[in-house]
Amino acid sequence: MTRALTLIRRRLVGSVFVLLIVIIGSFLLLEAAPGDAVDAYIVSTGGDAGMIELLRHRWGLDQSELTRLANYLWALLHLDLGQSITFSRPIREIILERLPTTLILMGSATALSFGLGSALGIYAGAKPGSFRDRVLSIGSLALYAVPGFWLGLVLIVVFAVDLRWLPIGGIETIASGKTGLARAADIATHLVLPVAALGFIYLALYLRMMRAGMAEAWRQDFVLAARARGLTRRRIVLAHVARNALLPLVTMLGLQSAQMLGGSVVIESVFAVPGLGRLAQEAVAGRDTPLLLGIILASAFLVIVINLLVDLAYAFLDPRVGASEANA
Amino acid sequence: MSELTISRRGLLAGSALLLASTALPTIGFAQTPKKGGRLIVAADSEPRNLNPAIVASNGVFFISSKIVETLAEASSDGKDGLEPRLALSWEGAADGLSVTFKLREGVKWHDGKPFTSADVAFSALQIWKPLQNLGRTVFKDLAAVDTPDELTAIFKFAKPTPFQLIRNALPALSSVVPKHVYAVGKIEDNPANNAPVGTGPFKFAEYKAGQYYRLTKNDAYWGKDEPYLDEIVYQVLPDRTSAAAALEAEEIQLAAFSAVPLADLDRISKVPGLKVITKGYEGLTYQLVVEINHRRKELADLKVRQAIAHAIDKDFVVKTVFLGYAATATGPVPKNDPQFYTADVPTYAFDVAKANALLDEAGYKRADDGKRFALKLLPAPYFNETKQFGDYLRQALAAIGIDAEIVNNDSAAHIKAVYTDHAFDLAVGPPVFRGDPAISTTILVQSGIPDGVPFSNQGGYKNAELDALIAKASETLDTSARTELYKEFQKKVAADLPLINVAEWSFISVARDTVGNIANNPRWAVSNWADTYLES
Amino acid sequence: MSRLHRFFRTPEAIAGALILALLVAMALAAPLLFPGDPQAIAGPALLPPFQDWSLPLGTDRLGRDVLAELFHGARTSLAVGLAAAAAALLIGAAVGTLAGFASGLLDEVLMRVTDAFQTVPSFLLALAFVSIVGPSLGVVVAAIALSAWTGPARVARAEVLSIRERDYVAGARIIGMHPLEIAFREVLPNALPPVLALSSVIVAAAILTEAALSFLGLGDPNRVTWGGMIAEGRTVLRTAPFLSIVPGVALVLTVLGVYLAGEGVVESTAVRRSLS
Repeated sequence: MTRALTLIRRRLVGSVFVLLIVIIGSFLLLEAAPGDAVDAYIVSTGGDAGMIELLRHRWGLDQSELTRLANYLWALLHLDLGQSITFSRPIREIILERLPTTLILMGSATALSFGLGSALGIYAGAKPGSFRDRVLSIGSLALYAVPGFWLGLVLIVVFAVDLRWLPIGGIETIASGKTGLARAADIATHLVLPVAALGFIYLALYLRMMRAGMAEAWRQDFVLAARARGLTRRRIVLAHVARNALLPLVTMLGLQSAQMLGGSVVIESVFAVPGLGRLAQEAVAGRDTPLLLGIILASAFLVIVINLLVDLAYAFLDPRVGASEANA
Repeated sequence: MSELTISRRGLLAGSALLLASTALPTIGFAQTPKKGGRLIVAADSEPRNLNPAIVASNGVFFISSKIVETLAEASSDGKDGLEPRLALSWEGAADGLSVTFKLREGVKWHDGKPFTSADVAFSALQIWKPLQNLGRTVFKDLAAVDTPDELTAIFKFAKPTPFQLIRNALPALSSVVPKHVYAVGKIEDNPANNAPVGTGPFKFAEYKAGQYYRLTKNDAYWGKDEPYLDEIVYQVLPDRTSAAAALEAEEIQLAAFSAVPLADLDRISKVPGLKVITKGYEGLTYQLVVEINHRRKELADLKVRQAIAHAIDKDFVVKTVFLGYAATATGPVPKNDPQFYTADVPTYAFDVAKANALLDEAGYKRADDGKRFALKLLPAPYFNETKQFGDYLRQALAAIGIDAEIVNNDSAAHIKAVYTDHAFDLAVGPPVFRGDPAISTTILVQSGIPDGVPFSNQGGYKNAELDALIAKASETLDTSARTELYKEFQKKVAADLPLINVAEWSFISVARDTVGNIANNPRWAVSNWADTYLES
Repeated sequence: MSRLHRFFRTPEAIAGALILALLVAMALAAPLLFPGDPQAIAGPALLPPFQDWSLPLGTDRLGRDVLAELFHGARTSLAVGLAAAAAALLIGAAVGTLAGFASGLLDEVLMRVTDAFQTVPSFLLALAFVSIVGPSLGVVVAAIALSAWTGPARVARAEVLSIRERDYVAGARIIGMHPLEIAFREVLPNALPPVLALSSVIVAAAILTEAALSFLGLGDPNRVTWGGMIAEGRTVLRTAPFLSIVPGVALVLTVLGVYLAGEGVVESTAVRRSLS
């Protein structure tokens, strides 16, 4: 238990620095951008010089970069994410509104790629080098190589337009007034295609890792011992080989959490899912610096928490980890 | 200036092209409109500020024009191309110093309070003139609005202002908002900017960011039996291909503003239950323009500009980039404009040999690699078609030995590069024609505009003769004299080529067969939809 | 058994090598077979494949030759993939070696910076970077490298940590070599193989990232890339599916080839290492 606490403490201290680097880095990047929020805004309105000056003043863009960064950090110290320029609403509110959608999408896609990937990986790795092993590895790789947006568009054409089994996009039927279970079912049907598009891409990752881990495990002593004890192949595969191969996958889960949010930018746009990824893209296009910082901060925080959970899980699963943490 | 929020892809045809389209206009069918139903419409962007009195742009109108009404709306058969909305009549004084509006009686705001001339005076003086993107120009000399009674509003101008201009500005610039809602606090921060209150046939109900806007029927609407629909829902579909899919899957019933890509129209017109409509945008014409930076010494030479004009195959552009849903342009006023257009201008036929000869004459000989000089070309990113034309223009310029490198920016960076930093040689822009040169095309030519004003002449072009002409037209009160001046303006622009007008286009709607009364006015997509109905 | 032999033991590795060889051949042959600008307008727009033998794969929305674009696209896709991977490996190996060898404060700082980069979704970083600097091929490569160097950095550091305590490093210290010299001349070369093993993953990811950026309108318009072709073809996905299928298949095959060949290399070296 103390080990877990030490781990949490170390991580929290480190995270503060990490978040600070992330904030300042993102801020500087956005400041270097050609065009500001006013330039992005007047694309849709036009306007004369006076109006433009008025807007810059209203949105605080006539202050120096340093002042704005200091103001932002000061507000952040008070746990205030500030006001979005383009939405003219508190950023915390906007992010909390979009976060659940992204979490459901990413969570389901991760569950799909991790669950199906490792299951197929076990199936393939049970007989390394067999025909099914090769077909599964290459098949999953081919899926990985398909650009996510293209997979998404094809899924829409086939399952939503031609077959009409599933809705083309969105997170739920618009203005349907559904509640409770009916609403949950509605959201679930809307999620099938985006989750498939996002999850299938990362399937290969887990499948191949599982398979490689199992191939390795077959050569280990304890497996040979189990074989010598005359255990059934099925038993050996599940209880010994797969179990040992699973550990690195858990680490991968943590590492992938940040990547999936990136992947969801494109998927959310194709499927019109109102999540954080799309919001981030809009924030970049609208040069809404505080909003983008808020999103990056939220996702960084999320990634840190997920990785902490993964490490804790790992620490309980594998007692050797605590010692090596000092090097991480 | 341009109004682009609505859609990054653009399309279609001025009325000149209607014959070429596959559409069957729906007007003229003797059908009795049915009551009730929910119309679901595709929206590809989410305007943050829904107050059309502050932000006069098509993206805002698309949603807000159903909620907040203007004094008058565009009409294909009304006098001066207008039909009454909140105003029943409008009369300009001969001295150009006042305009009198008689207002509609018995109109109520959505919160039940009566609509009066005080609301018009408040909107004009407190919002249109100081805050509105376009009103700041048109109403700059508005000094006062007299309200002798509740149904009369008299606009008083400090300087003579052409009545023709005010008239032409009414459909887009005269959204009236309630004084009692806006009188308290800062107008820009008023919550009603995000949940507008108006007099229109529909009330604002809710907005779910990233998902939809929902409007519900206004039972107390002044129009007899109107509106027919119970609800309008705008479903947010950010991806370019999803509107077509949603229409086919019967999840939405209407995609306006060319939400369905041009290249998909031929296929989708054959899908049973769907119709492609090219009407209803006559008052919303976009111009495809090559903006020129005259600070570049090569481009300051008229011969070079003429060569570029001769190098562009306008018919190819209309046929391939716009798939026929556009018209070739001759000058700064579009062919489908009923008041100002003249065909009597110098034209530039597609002639590569002549273009090459002009460049040789100008002294820019081809080097050994066949190139004369290099240029930076910035196509505006807001429309598919502007980008594609950019790709085409690069090839067209290569044919005459000009090596153009395309710079691909997002919207904010493009605006900054072209209109503030002037970091371009050629740019492709889609300015919108608003029915009067004074509030659209002249700003692209006239000099003395401060840096940073978007969709204006930032190419460093200066022509005293043209400036004088524009100034004279802006204070000429007589309608026919004013029109003549703008015809002169078109001739001069086409001769001196401060910019090159390539094509004119507007949008296309795709709808299910069940949607009735579509496209029955020249600004249909941004009109109030009071008479739109659903058959089943 | 020679290394080459070991590499060619599995059919996957052979297939991967064949695909890559074909790709390189396409890239090299492009300017010979299709001289001139591949973006030049060559015929009527939207010509379907196998209709006109001078334009065997048809034409796109503007009438450009799809086959010529495919060949020239192989050049850029390959160049983007290789350049981005090389840059990512270079940055990663340098940072990882420094961190692992220096330890202490420098290590701490470098690793927190690595953490920071890993916490931000890499695609989001690439997206923001390209929208801000403006899309050109070099910027796209830089953006991809910027979001991909953390993996190599971590692996390099872990390797360096295990190597720096070995005898020959201690030996180098005793003879008075400068620490930086030790780090980059003695330690880095020995830490490199596992870092290089990541290269196939990075090349594949780079090609896919370029495609996704093009999809969002952030590709270099002056160059043909397969990602750009797919992105352009998707507006006519229903009307002219071949426009996105042709480059799509090329992209899938390439990524597959890079992966399989990469795995073959890793496996052949892994066998060698476990034998030694």
